[in-house]
Amino acid sequence: MTAVFKKEIRTYFNTLTGYVFLGFFVAITGIYFLINNMSTGDLNYASTLAGSLMLFWILIPILTMRLFAEEARQKTDQLLLTSPVGVWGIVLGKFLAAGVLFIFGVIITAIFPFILSRFGTIAIAETVNVMFGYVLLGLALIAVGIYISSLTDNQIVAAAATFAALFVLFMIDSFTAEMPITAASSLVFAFLLVVLAAVVLYSSVKNLWASLVFAIILGFGVFVVYRIDPSLFDGLISKFFGWFSMIERFENFYSGVFSLADTVYYLSFAFVFIYLTVNRVEKRRWA
Amino acid sequence: MIEIKNLTKRFGKITAVDNISFTVNDGEIVGFLGPNGAGKSTTMNMMTGFISSTEGSVTIDGYDILEEPEKAKKRIGYLPEIPPVYPDMTVSEYLDFVCDLKKVKKSERKEMLREILENVRLVEVKDRLIKNLSKGYRQRVGLAQALVGRPGTLILDEPTVGLDPRQVLEMRDVIKTLGEKHTVILSSHILQEVSAVCSRVIIINKGKIVANGDSSDLSDAAVGSKLSLEIKGEKEAVEQAFSDLEYIESLEISEKGENLEVKLSSAEGVDIREAVFKTCAEKGLAVLEMKNDDLSLEEIFMRAVSGSDEEAALEKERQAISAETQAQAEAETETEEAEAPEEGFDYIADSAEIITAEADEAENAEEEEETEGDLK
Repeated sequence: MTAVFKKEIRTYFNTLTGYVFLGFFVAITGIYFLINNMSTGDLNYASTLAGSLMLFWILIPILTMRLFAEEARQKTDQLLLTSPVGVWGIVLGKFLAAGVLFIFGVIITAIFPFILSRFGTIAIAETVNVMFGYVLLGLALIAVGIYISSLTDNQIVAAAATFAALFVLFMIDSFTAEMPITAASSLVFAFLLVVLAAVVLYSSVKNLWASLVFAIILGFGVFVVYRIDPSLFDGLISKFFGWFSMIERFENFYSGVFSLADTVYYLSFAFVFIYLTVNRVEKRRWA
Repeated sequence: MIEIKNLTKRFGKITAVDNISFTVNDGEIVGFLGPNGAGKSTTMNMMTGFISSTEGSVTIDGYDILEEPEKAKKRIGYLPEIPPVYPDMTVSEYLDFVCDLKKVKKSERKEMLREILENVRLVEVKDRLIKNLSKGYRQRVGLAQALVGRPGTLILDEPTVGLDPRQVLEMRDVIKTLGEKHTVILSSHILQEVSAVCSRVIIINKGKIVANGDSSDLSDAAVGSKLSLEIKGEKEAVEQAFSDLEYIESLEISEKGENLEVKLSSAEGVDIREAVFKTCAEKGLAVLEMKNDDLSLEEIFMRAVSGSDEEAALEKERQAISAETQAQAEAETETEEAEAPEEGFDYIADSAEIITAEADEAENAEEEEETEGDLK
């Protein structure tokens, strides 16, 4: 793991990626800081960070697009996978490298609240808290980016797809507001989810009958629950998508509350995507 | 020792490798020969644990590659078809990374890297970025990578593909030297290469092993069974003389200036040289020249391959040949010229060495030019 970690950090700075990332990160956050804090005299750094969240759309793809796509394109994955290093080690090494570079960027931007503290009293604990939430959110999104990078051998495709995925994750709140809330539409949605689950099952076990039986049993179960108590289905769609809303969970950190639940949420979100990446890399070998 | 048992790989409905088994003993240099798409790379990818097998097992020094991957992988160095190098690193940085990856102890590192750089002749470029290196050097960096950690076995997938003739010969030379200390398995679709470097040949076609034996055995079996003669005399008399001879399978007579050129072949494994000489002497036919037309590996290869499906094999062979770069074609012509008909198969290795020596001289000259160019 350390070998891959060291190599990725080195590559970030051998190529321009690392400098571009840090420069971009600090510059844009700095502009937000100027507008939000310096020109208005506001001492609340949290609002600057919250306002600059959209920066992730560009920053995360810069960090992650190369990680697996480029290995596949240059066939260097053959070296990694035939070395005495496990797939978990490879994926974690890459995740940590991207994470550490990101955290490094956050540490540089910590100079901004420090500047503020020269002009007045800032709420240190709250500022640290919001930066902590910011880092967690970033790590979760990095995991998403790494997973997408493992799906393709073209970094541009990886970058575009990561951009799109982050866009959707950020915009989920506005989408869910527009979703139908009637029980009937929720039932249809539940059926769609069942079909999706069956397709995922089929793609992993390649057994048509097992997947069909699974879909029919699950679909029937959903229908029975609906007949017993349709009110359970009220607003199911927005609840479902709301679960993926990462921004909503950032609001606790933003408002100065340390939330263990949200910390766990972000960490498990990252873990799930790291796991998916490991799975994906393994599966390529078993194809 | 590498043991491969009933190895099979299917991609969907296509069977790329079909139930192959063989053993490679310590210290051997084994050539893995077959036309493009025969399943060589797939087999090697399975042997190194890059992809899994559908059925069967690969054991390296007693460790199964799928069950104890870390122990097994430590014992092999793998050079894939495309050298797995990072263009944005210098050679030293890259080899350092590979040392990390293969968990080489810090104390051994310096000495080992120095030795490797010397062995594969990379010392002079060790501080250059890999992206600025030529294909031949990149290939050597790939080879250096395989040597890191001193694995007992080297698996080299088409180590000379895409190199110019000089580099091809250099690479073969390096591999031969490495073969003194390592077990080497190399794949190739070029026969000269395998015969020049390997002690044993495994011929694979359509995912199946079609021949497995000593590279000299394969052609020794045919010594004296194919002759070409130059005879002074009448065509009819010659025909008459040989028609009485036992074991003769085919006879071809053509005119060559004032004399006759006769090509003879006997049943497999029968040496007819003496009988031919005596017959000619009795009939008063002057034999001006008699030489062995050993079966080249090409013919052995074709025989072995055509056993399964002649037409398809021919077609494949043709494709293989046309797919080769011009550089390789040149390399082959060179070797073929050296391999004049009167020289048997056993001489091929020697003549290749001669060429290597010549190439070395040429290389020195060229390198001097290069340095001059660099200075400018």
